[in-house]
Amino acid sequence: MKLLLAEDTSDLNRAVTAILKHEHYEVTSVLNGADALQSILETPYDGIILDIMMPGLSGLEVLREIRKRRITTPVLLLTAKAEIDDRVSGLDAGADDYLTKPFAMKELLARVRSMTRRGTVYAEDELHFSNITLSAESLALEAENTVRLSMKEYELMKALILNAGRALDTKYLLSHVWKSEPEADEDTVWLYVSYLKGKLRAVSGKAVITGKRGGSCTLTEQ
Amino acid sequence: MDSIYGTHKPELERTKSFLMERIEEIRSEMKERSGQDPIEHLLGRIKSEESMREKCIRKGLPETPGSALQHIYDAIGIRVVCSFINDVYAIRDAIAALPGCSIVREKDYIRKAKPNGYRSYHMILLTDSGIYAEIQLRTISMDTWAALEHHMKYKKNLNGNLELLTSELKRCADELASTDLSMQTLRDMIYDEGESNP
Repeated sequence: MKLLLAEDTSDLNRAVTAILKHEHYEVTSVLNGADALQSILETPYDGIILDIMMPGLSGLEVLREIRKRRITTPVLLLTAKAEIDDRVSGLDAGADDYLTKPFAMKELLARVRSMTRRGTVYAEDELHFSNITLSAESLALEAENTVRLSMKEYELMKALILNAGRALDTKYLLSHVWKSEPEADEDTVWLYVSYLKGKLRAVSGKAVITGKRGGSCTLTEQ
Repeated sequence: MDSIYGTHKPELERTKSFLMERIEEIRSEMKERSGQDPIEHLLGRIKSEESMREKCIRKGLPETPGSALQHIYDAIGIRVVCSFINDVYAIRDAIAALPGCSIVREKDYIRKAKPNGYRSYHMILLTDSGIYAEIQLRTISMDTWAALEHHMKYKKNLNGNLELLTSELKRCADELASTDLSMQTLRDMIYDEGESNP
């Protein structure tokens, strides 16, 4: 599981990173909001831990920006004890949970587990990218024309739309779309990517999937 | 009563045969090249007297050979049914390049399906001798769908809820289209791997 930690106090940043790594999370740590935002736009994370008070771009601003871009990765906010207004604004801006400082590492780990277990709570009935619409209810992929996807094609298309513009590697897709099913391998991923490429063309979608067999693939606008 | 086609019926028969022979030639060439028959079946018909008269009336045209041959374009109808979607387009390209006739109009209802889910590629051809013909190209699953939709449209006492049947037919059309595309992808993959691992 990939986590991003954005915390400007370097001692706390180091300590939390070490403990999360010890729990076998893959952790990227940054010390300010701008780096956090850039990293989120490039990498598909399973969870994000954001300190509210950071120099430059604050945690709240990062949160608002990623939600505006329809990035639905779960977010845990770290707030100072007195800042009730921040906690309220954070939850309203799309945070999934918050934790007040100082906190016990045990509680942080429990909240991270809970946040990543729930996954994306921002599930929408319809996802949009470029001129395409993906419907959760009918599994229809629609642009100028409509086709109905199979469940796995739908899950893959959903992952690509939620992470549009970001490169998703085969390992990520196998763990997130195929939930590490033993029969699935890089050939499976490539076949399903190929199905979707053909179907995007068939509905005259202006979105394209680029990438190579066994490597990463990215959904972008043509 | 005189024929709606006047004395032109033999000419229609000849033109139909001419076009079907050309399409058979296209089929043989493609089969020769790839080792696979691109066509599942090929059908041709001259529109019946009754349907042609009915169509003239529906379009507000007099029931004359002029209407049937110059204002209605499907006195000759040819249907080309393919197994795979790319073959539909390959045959369309080969028909477009045929000498002795030109394309009057084309409609790609595969790229942009009708709202009810109908998918097919339509071409209206005009031969150098002045005879029109409509060619419909589609895959087997599009053909099966169109047959069922046709039955529903013309059945007098429909059992079941029309709205439900219509929306379910649309759903099936979109699922079949999806399967056609998956089959094409699989075929491309099998073909590519065959090429790289002889």
